[in-house]
Amino acid sequence: MAADEHVSMIPAASKVGWSAEVNGRGFGDEIESGAILLDVLRDQVGTLGVKRGCDMGTCGCCTVIIDGVARLSCLTLAGEAEGCEITTVEGLATGHHLAPIQEMFSECGGSQCGFCTPGFLLTSAALLAKNDSPSDSEVKSAIDGNLCRCTGYQQIVESIQAAAEILRSDAKSKDGTAAQMDPHPGLGAGDAGE
Amino acid sequence: MRTPPFNLHLPTTVSEAVQISAELRAEGRETDWIAGGTDLLPNYKWHLNTKSDVISLARIEGITSVSMTEIGAMARLSEIADGGEAHPLIAAAARKVASSLIRNSATLGGNICLDTRCFWFNQGEDWRSSIDWCLKCDCGTGADCRVIVNQNELCVATYQADLAPNLMVLGAAIHLAGPEGERSLPICEFFKLDGMTRNVLREGEMVVKVTLPDEVGQWQGEYQKLRLRESWDFPEAGVAAAWRLGGDGTLAELKVATTALESIPRLHDQEVAPIIAAGWSGEESITALAKAIQQTVKPVNNTAFPPNYRKKMTRVMCERALAQLSIN
Ligand SMILES: Cc1cc2nc3c(=O)[nH]c(=O)nc-3n(C[C@H](O)[C@H](O)[C@H](O)COP(=O)(O)OP(=O)(O)OC[C@H]3O[C@@H](n4cnc5c(N)ncnc54)[C@H](O)[C@@H]3O)c2cc1C
Ligand code: SF4
Ligand code: FES
Ligand code: FES
Repeated sequence: MAADEHVSMIPAASKVGWSAEVNGRGFGDEIESGAILLDVLRDQVGTLGVKRGCDMGTCGCCTVIIDGVARLSCLTLAGEAEGCEITTVEGLATGHHLAPIQEMFSECGGSQCGFCTPGFLLTSAALLAKNDSPSDSEVKSAIDGNLCRCTGYQQIVESIQAAAEILRSDAKSKDGTAAQMDPHPGLGAGDAGE
Repeated sequence: MRTPPFNLHLPTTVSEAVQISAELRAEGRETDWIAGGTDLLPNYKWHLNTKSDVISLARIEGITSVSMTEIGAMARLSEIADGGEAHPLIAAAARKVASSLIRNSATLGGNICLDTRCFWFNQGEDWRSSIDWCLKCDCGTGADCRVIVNQNELCVATYQADLAPNLMVLGAAIHLAGPEGERSLPICEFFKLDGMTRNVLREGEMVVKVTLPDEVGQWQGEYQKLRLRESWDFPEAGVAAAWRLGGDGTLAELKVATTALESIPRLHDQEVAPIIAAGWSGEESITALAKAIQQTVKPVNNTAFPPNYRKKMTRVMCERALAQLSIN
C-alpha cells in the first residue's frame, strides 16, 4: 500500500503573509501556513547559520533567540514567531567585531568542526544576557540541550566563562578598533587593526 | 523529514479556539491543538496521525499564570521550573523535563496531554512501513499491536511525561473547556486507557489550567526519575511522593504516584492505604510500600530500558523518594 494513503493531507498548504525582525532587519514574505521557523529562516530569509541537525529537538543546532529567549527553531511554528525579534548567529557580530562569545569560542577551542557552534553561541548569548556571572553548573544546565560531538564540552564551558569575564569588564570586545560594517575584515583598506 | 502541509490557526481567546475547532470539524476537517509543539511537531515530522488543521494556543492570553495553587495550560516549563512561584515539587519535576531549550517552549498542558510513546511507533514513515505499521498508526491496514500481538484492539504505548504524577500526589484538579462548556475533574480521573485513548478529552475540548488545593503548601514531596541520559531523555520510570506531617512531626498523609510504566500515570492509594493502616514505622514501611508498588506496575517492552529493570528501579526510586520519612 502506498505510504501516503493514510496521511490526512490537504492538497496544498495555504499561504499567509509573515513578517519578523531578523537580526535587526525587517523581513516579510509569504509562507506556508504551517511552516516551521527553521525552514523559513534557511529557505526564505537565507540565514544559513541556523543549522538543521536532527530536526527533532534533540541537538540544539537550530537554536535562535526569539524575543530574548533561546528556542529550537526546528520545533517552532513560524506563525507563532510572527512579529518577533529573531537573532541568528549572523546577528551576533557588530560589523567586523565578533561578539565576545564568538571571540572566546575561537580563542578557547570551543568550536572544532563548527556544526554545533551557531546553536551553542546563541544559547550562551541568551544565558549571558540574563546572567553575566554564571557558575559552571549554571552554564552546563543552560547548554544541556546542545550536543557537540567534537569538543568534549570542557572548552565550550571555558569559552562561555571567558566571554562572561569580558562582559563583566568594560571592554566589551578584545578588538580595540572601531567596529565597521566590513564583511571581510583584513581584506579591505587596512582596517584590520594594529 | 518535513511535516505534511497543514493550516495553522492562531486564536486569541479560549472561546475562539473552541469555536474554530468546532467549525472546522463541522466542515469535516480534523484538528489538533498545539501548545509548545515539542511533542506534536516531532510526531508530525514522522507523519504520525497528522491532521489537516492545527490550532495554536500560543496567542491565547490569560492561561500562562503560575502560582502555588494555579498553573495555566500555556505556562512554559522554564517558568514553572525557575520562576520561583510553583510548588517546589512541581518546580523540581519541571526542571527534570527534557532540556533547558525544550523547556523554553514546552508547556504544562502539552506535558499533561503528551502523546504516549513506543519504539515501534515513534519512528520515521519508512521505518514503520518496513514493519507493516502498528495499530496506533495503522495507515488503514488494520495492523496489529507489535508489543502485545494477536489482539488488535489495545495499544500499550507508554505515557512518558513527568508532571502528571506530581500533580496527582498534590491533589490537583484539571479544568477543561470545550463545545459543551467547561468542566473540572480531579487529575487522577483525567487519564484513560489505552495508549490511543490517553485521556477523557472530548472532541474539540482543551485543557485550560490546573489548580491545587489551598493547603498544598503544607505538603512536601520528592520526584525520582530514571532516564538514559540526564540531559534530556524521557522518563523510563518515575516515582512521585508527597506527604504532610502532623503537628507532632509524624506522618499525617502520604501519596505516591508513578509514571512512564504504563499507558497512563497511576496514583497508588491502594498500595499506600494498608501500610498506613498498619502504622507507619519508617524504614520498614518504606521497604514494604516500595515492594508493593513494584509488584503492581506492569511496564511492557516498548521503551529504551527492559521492563524488568524499570520495575526493579521503581522499587529503588520509591525508597529514595521516601527516604526523608525513614525515621518515625
Ligand atoms: C528531545 C526531547 C526530550 C523530551 N524529554 C521529555 C522529558 O524528559 N519528560 C517529559 O515529560 N517530556 C519530554 N519531552 C516531551 C515534551 O517536550 C514535553 O512533554 C512538553 O511538556 C510537551 O509540551 P508542549 O507544549 O511542547 O506540547 P505540544 O507538542 O504542543 O502538545 C503535546 C500534545 O498535547 C496536546 N495539547 C497541548 N496543549 C493542550 C491543551 N491545552 N489542551 C489539550 N491538549 C493539548 C497536543 O495536541 C499534543 O497532542 C521531550 C521532547 C523532546 C523533543
Ligand atoms: S503499543 Fe502497540 S499499538 Fe501502541 S504504538 Fe506500540 S506497537 Fe503500536
Ligand atoms: S535541529 Fe533543532 S534540535 Fe536538532
Ligand atoms: S564542534 Fe563539531 S559538533 Fe561541536
